[in-house]
Amino acid sequence: MDLDITLTDAPIAEQISAPFPVGSYGAWLEFRGVVREEEAGRKIAALEYEAYPEMAVREMRRLVNDIAGRHPCLAVRVIHRIGLIPVGEAAVYAGVASRHRAEGFALLAEFMDRLKLDVPIWKRGSRGFEPVMAKVSVNVPAGAGRKPSPLSLDEARAKIQSCCQPLPAIRVPLVEAVGRVLREPVRATEDLPPFDCSTRDGYAVLADDPAEQHEVVGVIHAAGWQPRQLRSGEAVRVATGAPMPCGGLRVIMQEDAVLEGNYVRLNRTDSAINIRRRGDEVKAGQLLVPEHSKLDAGRLALLATAGLAYPLVSPRLRVVHLITGDEIVPPGQTPQPGQIRDSNSILIRGLLAGQVGELYQAHLPENFAAAWSQLPLNKIAVADLVLVSGGASVGERDFTRPLLERLGFHIQFNQVNLRPGRPLIFGTKGSQAAFGLPGNPLSHFVCFHFAVAMALARFNGDCPPVFQRGVLPDRFVSETCSRETLWPARLTLSAGRVILHPLNWGSSGDVTCFAQANALIRVPAGQANFAAGAEVEFLPAGAI
Amino acid sequence: MRVLFFAHLKDVTGQESVNIILPFPHDPGQLWERLLELYPALAAHQSKVRLSRNWEYATAETLFQNEDEVALIPPVSGG
Repeated sequence: MDLDITLTDAPIAEQISAPFPVGSYGAWLEFRGVVREEEAGRKIAALEYEAYPEMAVREMRRLVNDIAGRHPCLAVRVIHRIGLIPVGEAAVYAGVASRHRAEGFALLAEFMDRLKLDVPIWKRGSRGFEPVMAKVSVNVPAGAGRKPSPLSLDEARAKIQSCCQPLPAIRVPLVEAVGRVLREPVRATEDLPPFDCSTRDGYAVLADDPAEQHEVVGVIHAAGWQPRQLRSGEAVRVATGAPMPCGGLRVIMQEDAVLEGNYVRLNRTDSAINIRRRGDEVKAGQLLVPEHSKLDAGRLALLATAGLAYPLVSPRLRVVHLITGDEIVPPGQTPQPGQIRDSNSILIRGLLAGQVGELYQAHLPENFAAAWSQLPLNKIAVADLVLVSGGASVGERDFTRPLLERLGFHIQFNQVNLRPGRPLIFGTKGSQAAFGLPGNPLSHFVCFHFAVAMALARFNGDCPPVFQRGVLPDRFVSETCSRETLWPARLTLSAGRVILHPLNWGSSGDVTCFAQANALIRVPAGQANFAAGAEVEFLPAGAI
Repeated sequence: MRVLFFAHLKDVTGQESVNIILPFPHDPGQLWERLLELYPALAAHQSKVRLSRNWEYATAETLFQNEDEVALIPPVSGG
């Protein structure tokens, strides 16, 4: 029987492919257990599940194998989701392929019954959703009636850093850990390599054996384990990586050996031992991967080598992105006079790619009442981060601030003394954060890198992005501005130096320059006049 | 021995896991005695909690040793 069991904190796919080989089964049954909007008589927005992952997977496997003994099926696939699951989404999926439907139904029904008795997975509380029904002012400019005092760039970043805390870590299978941040230091539990092993294909003999001819008394492959005490005049053929049969040996590479029947004549052309000692690479207890490391391919391979199948990592972030503005049309549509194509949806999707687990995007009309009735409240309730595009610059039709306030967010700041991106709004609600991003795309780009990226790093328990130093190749004079500027630039590496080429940038609405930008140069308020070769601060903003 | 707590038992003990050293292999009754010394509040839950040893439910015959991973499994509610 083909059996596949997965534990994941990602949403379960809407479509799951049937098993192979097609044609062998006559029934393919699928079941999804979905989170209902009522739990213990109370209306909820999401349920939180917790698992003992190693045991949950083993227990599900044991259950399926046990039941399949009585109801033989061809393939079974089970996916159980853990973490916060919004109402309407599946917590568990089970698919069963069988020759006929009867045994499939029987296995599925019994499995689900016993899952609820024996598999160590728990519903761990729920999350409700109560919007703040206080009277909110609609269509009133943000900060009206108050003297707005914009924060400086550094103050805004410090505010975000202090408001956003690392989310509770979670244990997931290695395959689910790709790209996440490790939340515990990982130490070696054993020596690596775990035994003395050959670094060559060749013949192992006693290190001080003076014999020229040796009897080949054994063969050890890479996965072999054949302890034996070698004597003078004896040799064991070993493959690269093969464990040594005993201590005190050296390996003569096969290029220096002549095999004659069951005997081998060895030319000792050098004194190389050709053995990697136990613990040569890693000693038990040694730190392998420090906490806060991003789990890239190499680190994941190291965790696998060390036997850590369920690392403690950051949860996959959930982001809701609300796009407002009656003037925008989809990219495939020809805009009418006064309309523009929506580039912010794909911009945000691209900026978040690989950094978040789930991105839910929705367009909202600018009419507040209509927008409110269309809000994906169950998604917002479980989102770690809510982004609202447009509607943040001070104008009559703006509604980001009232919207966030009615959702229960406390506005931490609503202006930053920065160009572009001045009308950035930042709010928090418990552990959740929200940003109102000024409508034009370049402001989105800049606000993402100096503000949203900071929140993402903090939630993930990652090191926050920091300003670095680079060099301007030519003289650079900016026009006078009373605000600090994050100036889009193209970063290149040349002879070990970071070179920053400032890009032409007319207004914050310029959409061509950020197609090349991968850095933001920090230009102080006033008129900046940098000489060629001057060192400046910059924030990375994309791949080099 | 590493002992893991799940679901509401994390709140009861105030911990996700604890390392304890056994002077000799313990059967379930002996292990419970040890755990209740450390966390008297577990007593109220003992009748409903199952023990696991190395990712399998323990039985009355199970012997727990220092190199084992043990978990306290309260009534489950998956699916």
